Amino acid sequence: MNKMIPSRSIGVPKPLIDGPEKMTGKAMFAADFQAVDALVGRILRSPVAHASIVAIDTSKAEALPGVRAVVTEADCSNNHGVLPIAMNEWALARHRVRYRGEPVAAVAAVDVATAQRALDLIEVTYEELPAYFTAAEARAEGAMVLHDDKPGNIEREVEFDLGDVDAGMAAADLVREMDFHCAEVCQAQMEPHAAFAEYDAARERLTIRPSTQVPFYVHKMLARVMGMPESHIRVIKPHIGGGFGCRTETLQSDLIAGLLARKARGTVKLVLSREETFITHRGRPETHIKMKVGMKKDGTITAVDFSAQQRGGAYSGYGIVTILYAGSLIYGIYDIVSARFKGYRVLTNTPPCGAFRGHGTVKTRFAFENLIDGMATELGLDPFAVRRANLLVAPTMTENDLLVNSYGLDQCLDWAEKASGWKQRKGKMGPNKGLGMACSHYISGASKPKHWTGEPHATIHLRVDWDASITLLTGAAEIGQGSSTVMAQCVAETLGVDMGRIRVVAADSALTPKDNGSYSSRVTFMVGNASIDAAQNLKALLIAAAARKLEIAPEDVECLGEVYRGGQQDQGLTFEEVVMEALTGEGTLAVKGTYDTIPESWGGRKYRGAAIGGTMAFSYAAQVVEVTVDPDTAEITVNKVWVAHDCGKALNPLAVEGQVQGSVWMGMGQAMSEETRFHEGLPLHANMLDYRVPTIIESPPIEVGIIEANDPHGPFGAKEAGEGSLTGFLPALTNAVADAVGVRATELPLTPDRLLELLEKKARDERAGVSVSGKLA
Amino acid sequence: MEHLPEMHLQHPATVEEAVKLHAAAPASRYLAGGSDLLVNIRRGIERPDSLVYLNGIAELHTITDGLEQISIGGAVTLRELAESQLLRKPFSAVAQAAGKVAGPSHREYGTLGGNLCLDTRCVFYNQSEWWRAANNYCLKYRGDICHVAPGGKKCFAAFSGDVAPALLLFDAEVELAGPDGRRRIALAALYRNDGMDHLTMTRGELLVAVHVPKIPAPVRTGYAKSRVRGSIDFPLAGVAVRLGLQDEKIADLRIGLTGVSPLPFLVRGLDKFVGRKPDDACLEELREVVRGQAKAMKTTLTPPHYRRRVAGALAQKLAESIF
Amino acid sequence: MKNTLSLTVNGITRDDVVPDNMLLVDYLREKVGLTGTKIGCDGGECGACTVLIDGRPRHACLTLAATCQNAKVETVDGLSRDGRLTAIQRGFNEKLGAQCGFCTPGMIMASEALLRRNPDPSEADIRDALAGNICRCTGYVKIIEAVQFAARELAA
Repeated sequence: MNKMIPSRSIGVPKPLIDGPEKMTGKAMFAADFQAVDALVGRILRSPVAHASIVAIDTSKAEALPGVRAVVTEADCSNNHGVLPIAMNEWALARHRVRYRGEPVAAVAAVDVATAQRALDLIEVTYEELPAYFTAAEARAEGAMVLHDDKPGNIEREVEFDLGDVDAGMAAADLVREMDFHCAEVCQAQMEPHAAFAEYDAARERLTIRPSTQVPFYVHKMLARVMGMPESHIRVIKPHIGGGFGCRTETLQSDLIAGLLARKARGTVKLVLSREETFITHRGRPETHIKMKVGMKKDGTITAVDFSAQQRGGAYSGYGIVTILYAGSLIYGIYDIVSARFKGYRVLTNTPPCGAFRGHGTVKTRFAFENLIDGMATELGLDPFAVRRANLLVAPTMTENDLLVNSYGLDQCLDWAEKASGWKQRKGKMGPNKGLGMACSHYISGASKPKHWTGEPHATIHLRVDWDASITLLTGAAEIGQGSSTVMAQCVAETLGVDMGRIRVVAADSALTPKDNGSYSSRVTFMVGNASIDAAQNLKALLIAAAARKLEIAPEDVECLGEVYRGGQQDQGLTFEEVVMEALTGEGTLAVKGTYDTIPESWGGRKYRGAAIGGTMAFSYAAQVVEVTVDPDTAEITVNKVWVAHDCGKALNPLAVEGQVQGSVWMGMGQAMSEETRFHEGLPLHANMLDYRVPTIIESPPIEVGIIEANDPHGPFGAKEAGEGSLTGFLPALTNAVADAVGVRATELPLTPDRLLELLEKKARDERAGVSVSGKLA
Repeated sequence: MEHLPEMHLQHPATVEEAVKLHAAAPASRYLAGGSDLLVNIRRGIERPDSLVYLNGIAELHTITDGLEQISIGGAVTLRELAESQLLRKPFSAVAQAAGKVAGPSHREYGTLGGNLCLDTRCVFYNQSEWWRAANNYCLKYRGDICHVAPGGKKCFAAFSGDVAPALLLFDAEVELAGPDGRRRIALAALYRNDGMDHLTMTRGELLVAVHVPKIPAPVRTGYAKSRVRGSIDFPLAGVAVRLGLQDEKIADLRIGLTGVSPLPFLVRGLDKFVGRKPDDACLEELREVVRGQAKAMKTTLTPPHYRRRVAGALAQKLAESIF
Repeated sequence: MKNTLSLTVNGITRDDVVPDNMLLVDYLREKVGLTGTKIGCDGGECGACTVLIDGRPRHACLTLAATCQNAKVETVDGLSRDGRLTAIQRGFNEKLGAQCGFCTPGMIMASEALLRRNPDPSEADIRDALAGNICRCTGYVKIIEAVQFAARELAA
């Protein structure tokens, strides 16, 4: 009996298609690959924060039996970096080290013990230079520059002034300004960085399996750094144990594995320790923010004037993009009529920062949502009302020319307010309990790719052969977020076939089309659309074949997924029969689908760098956090979180929930316990004990409301789901704490010791007769 | 993190054999659970050439309910301790402390002896070899400066075992076995106030058992622990309280502290509370006494001010809540 | 120093010559070839390497292989029976208790140990049993649901 209705794959909760491998231990991560002749790679790291390298003597290491390769900067053909305009990092330090832990040399040896002994035999002579561990020190008058082309140690200074900020402030009924300080945080994905590199000496070819979110960038940078033709490199992405952004650029370990394999003319496995993984960093920078907002009595925001200074670390990395996002994404969520921004990205002698989930937006949003919460209190307004007073109406273009085509923030607010019982419970929670709320948003991929080549944003290949299976070939990197599943769903839905017919082959440069990678929540939007396009192209071929076989016009063919027929009376052709007809005279079907963004979404030109922020669609989120504070120990318990996320059409509601919960919870870690500090440049949190990722004990229930404000350009209307709701947690937490105990935290993470200081200060002020807001009681 | 160095693993069947094997190699260490020792070896702050594995010794695994005392073998796991029916009231503090060590899987193999003999901890010490070398090492190991109190010659690394302060409430004794035979000393005498060398055990001694005298008085005890996360973390401060009331007045009061100095200890000067009603004023005063003696230093990433204050707060809360 | 280690790994009896300083996790991954057990930290901080030894959860990264003489070691690689996922594996799969999957082997083994001694755990029991296992993707919400799903399946 032929199945006479098309299968539904979209909007249905689906376990991940690569789930069973993960349940059984069969999923192969980079460190899981083995070969009998595999060598062990190890990296020698700088013990000093800033120094000239006077000499490196590797001769003793090279002479040690069992050592097969020793590499230094002399083995690198070029520098590298993720932004074509800001490449200044070397896989192995060249003439100078700029942070403690920077790779200086590496060895490949027959076993760990030999590799370790070899490292100990490498002699490096350093001449120490002044080192700067804070942005302020690095910017100080007379500070030595880390890079000759970066005067004042400024990676990038950003400025915009849109609308009339001064008039806006003057027209406001209340103007408030506050300083905020957020600690540096790290992705701390569960899998330490690793790469498995095989060099085929006979053909001078490299095959590498790196733990990356961006196999394409790794491919490009390997060719650049190793001086090899891109055609001689094959990058295969294995299973990836999370990334959250730290693997959205080529890491030194990826490059060093390649360099070692070539020099050893064999296979090298390079697995970093957890400490080394922390030192590699690429997390969110320590940021100081000044935020000033003007507000009318009804909550309308008249002007925003803000600045941000980020401690970027020793190399450029994503820095320019991060500081631009910190400014531009003040827009896109509320109706902001005037805003002024000044941003500084500073180079310091600490590990380079990078792109971390919610890239660039998190700390600005924390400051903004925190400040307006306090202003709402002062004006006697409900925090929800303040947000509602400033909503956008889609479609629209923001003042800085960001396209907003779909907008579900109003529905998010309604859901979070209702689900949390806000109206009934706010203000009646009893002592030391509180409710706080905040909103956030995020892009669905940057509309202009970093490597602007004129190619489409995404390309998908579908291959169908005599067995009637559909092989989906994608370069997109499945990193646990479920991208392969989403693509299979998009193709299955478009064709109406069962998902079981589809096999996804992902991210093998020898087989799959190029993809920019998994970052900035681009995959569902861009690659999803390309998948639909490919499936439609395939469907057209299959309909044409069915029409030939049924001897009817193509427009008369009814496609029921597994059955193609001419009409109700027709028993039709099976999918297999249609495929056989399509192959006749044609051979294996290979179709392609692509996706490109529209120019209106490319962001503005009103200031230098205004294109950063441009996206096809924004996601929106509103959340309510409930806390209990222990007034004696200042410990905060998060009792529950209610979060509404507008992801447009939820292609896989199960995965959307998982992404939103994971985002909110990651925001919680950043808000409450996670930070990376340094002792004279040495990382103080470079292990999973001192870098305090929350355990299951203190992790709250997180109830998710999916809001579907479909985007006209999204695949089936879908938008971003995996980043936008992280950001809102931070201010929602501090707002809840303010509600509970009457102190407003401006420094994160809000650890018990920091909260205790605030509570003690409040007690002192109260004794002295001063109210919390600074006015006389 | 460094790989494990070459080591010889010994499998004795008796305490005496263990002591003999330990004496036979120059840099022996006893290994039971290994949850702390193996981390320290991997970090290069322990460099034994020989490990004497204690888990094959039956004597070390028993919990005995004697007439006058409860005896607990050194290799009894923290889970067994936490779940033991013998450690109910009035010994609740011991079971509670054991149940709050690290995470559940650590407690499956971490032992009582290991927790009592835990090395002191400091943010400048519990780091990799690369890290410590880059920081010129420290007083406690291979170096000659203290990064916590530069200029000083005293090591402030903090004792961070949870179980010791609870056992101190009961005048527990430890039974040690060494090359010169067995001896029993007060648990309090096992420790000295020196982060570099906080155990009074002589070389080659191992902790065979802890003997906890039974107490007749109707006292109640409990343990509270401050840590950033709800699990896994070592204590920022750990507080064990023993409280006995008579006619609603304090008749018996002891408080043990951990995590705030190089040794676990009983708070001094609590006699003045005996005979008083445990009302708010009394407990506030108690909090200040505890806070004053919790002299935490900058050995953790959480500042000392907080650890001192929270030690007092936890003592007050516990004293309020156990009755 | 090397000695012969006799034990069972996932029900199969083995004799291997193992150096005294070899960690159980390295023995399993490199000697036996079972790479399901993961290394996520530098020792005992994350729980990704959790295996069962004689039915109880333990960190394979802080266990010397040579101390497992005559022990019964179980890893995630050997959990499924006749190629079918067991209840706890189905729970993690269907409830999306795993995203990236790197903590999953440890999570599954810790959950398996819990369900064997307590087939009907409360939410608090689940939290207590998994308190030493860090997950960076899920926020743990769906991990709790996964264990609850498995408990229901086992009861049915």
